[in-house]
Amino acid sequence: MNLSSLLDKMAAVARRDLLTAIRYRTGFFALAGSATVELAAFYYLSRAVGPAFRPQGFDYFPFLLVGTGFYAFLVKGVNAFLTTVADAQQTGTLEVLMTTATPPTLLIFMSAVSAFAGSALELVLYLATGLIVFGAPLHPNWLGCAVIFTLSLVLAIAIGIGAAALQLAIQKGSAVLWLLGSGTWLLTGTLFPVSSLPKALRSFSALIPITHSLDGMRLALLQGVPFAFLGREVVTLGLFCLLLLPFSLLVFSYTLRRARLEGTLSFY
Amino acid sequence: MNSVVLESVSKVFRHRPALFNWLGRERRGETRALDVVSLSVPAGRVLVLLGPNGSGKTSILKLVSTMLLPDSGRVLVEGADTLREGHRVRKHVGFAVASERSFFPRLSARENLNFFAALDDVPRKLRGEKIDEVLAQTGLLEAADTLVMKFSSGMYQRLGIARALIKEPSILLLDEPTRSLDPVSATHFWHLVRGLSERAATVMLATHSFTEAVAVGHFVAVLYQGSLVGCGPLSSYTTVDELRSLYFETTGELEEVGEMAVRAGA
Repeated sequence: MNLSSLLDKMAAVARRDLLTAIRYRTGFFALAGSATVELAAFYYLSRAVGPAFRPQGFDYFPFLLVGTGFYAFLVKGVNAFLTTVADAQQTGTLEVLMTTATPPTLLIFMSAVSAFAGSALELVLYLATGLIVFGAPLHPNWLGCAVIFTLSLVLAIAIGIGAAALQLAIQKGSAVLWLLGSGTWLLTGTLFPVSSLPKALRSFSALIPITHSLDGMRLALLQGVPFAFLGREVVTLGLFCLLLLPFSLLVFSYTLRRARLEGTLSFY
Repeated sequence: MNSVVLESVSKVFRHRPALFNWLGRERRGETRALDVVSLSVPAGRVLVLLGPNGSGKTSILKLVSTMLLPDSGRVLVEGADTLREGHRVRKHVGFAVASERSFFPRLSARENLNFFAALDDVPRKLRGEKIDEVLAQTGLLEAADTLVMKFSSGMYQRLGIARALIKEPSILLLDEPTRSLDPVSATHFWHLVRGLSERAATVMLATHSFTEAVAVGHFVAVLYQGSLVGCGPLSSYTTVDELRSLYFETTGELEEVGEMAVRAGA
């Protein structure tokens, strides 16, 4: 498949998603409203806690802004893969999609990238609202932000492909993902620093890739630390990518083949 | 030259009940969907699959399309094995599924076709023209810009056929294609299928209608409980009654119907 064909398919997927999103008009506006309300809640929470509380050396509101914004972006991205498969199962399009000339893995990947683009836009709006409306101080090191963002994106894609495989295999992947999501919310330092956790949980949180994504993004976006100071986060995220991406691709191919053998592609 | 070959193909669906099965008593065991079925379809010919519900017609179509993979035996499509060369197979096959639920409800008919055409490598320059052509062939041109969630069953069915045609497949699979169509649309569709085979496309069509089978078929295969019980050519002189007799003879269903009629009369 050449690049022009790939871009053409990507455009078709993005167009489908955009048209579907704007035809659910109320959902679009509800999303924008809820993000502003959420940020207002965090803003007043940080004022109530007071300026003395500085997790990892950051003011609390920017700590929350980056933590919750970037966490939501990554989790929504992972969820997008699962939702892509679940929606296709429920609308009955999955079987037909799996018989087009486009390889299934590429198709799932493109659908999720399209969803990621929507989440990235939400992230930018979320950060901009925090910056403009609530005056969060950002001191970005753009190169650092870009590297951490890219590695986190690859990781979310890897985990997302795994989630899509789970949905194909058990048709109720959302339940498992919800369980994982609640766990990572607690353990990754989204709302409070990991140092507040008991020692045993702290070592467990180091094994979760999102912990390193949030640490790296806070350092790059809020403190603007030089790239060299991000070495630990970059290497850790890189290693997670190298391990998880091939593994989840293999698992997805295997579950798709199993579903074709067992005749469960259309189950939901 | 055969376009599609099934060599001793078997397919079994296993039922794995949920936990706490005593609550709902879900079925256990397995269903033998196909039992060592062998058949072939020559290029440019129309094979009609006849058989009662659950006889294996749709399973055969799904196996050819790679939606399903065989448990044993081989399915070859234009020489490519569905187990090992699925990607090659999918380039050749267009499948109009029987289910209505296979479109994006908040996209129009044209937008749905545009999406599937892109995935099926229909060149961008030709896409608009091809979409108009298949919409016209299936009588949906006027509804082209209607969201498909507002479609009737018959319109969904026609859109499914349009989607299968858009990539100009060398093998077209049709699962009960006229089930929800009115008589005029069905007759129009039979002309379309004949026209496709004249242009060298191979067609496999599953149906319950003897009239449809006689109208479009070159060959007929009769399935019963997953086994191929009859197979042969349909000449232009074959009548609906002759085909009906063949069907009931091979499936043995006539005796069952007779017994039921006697019981109902009594």
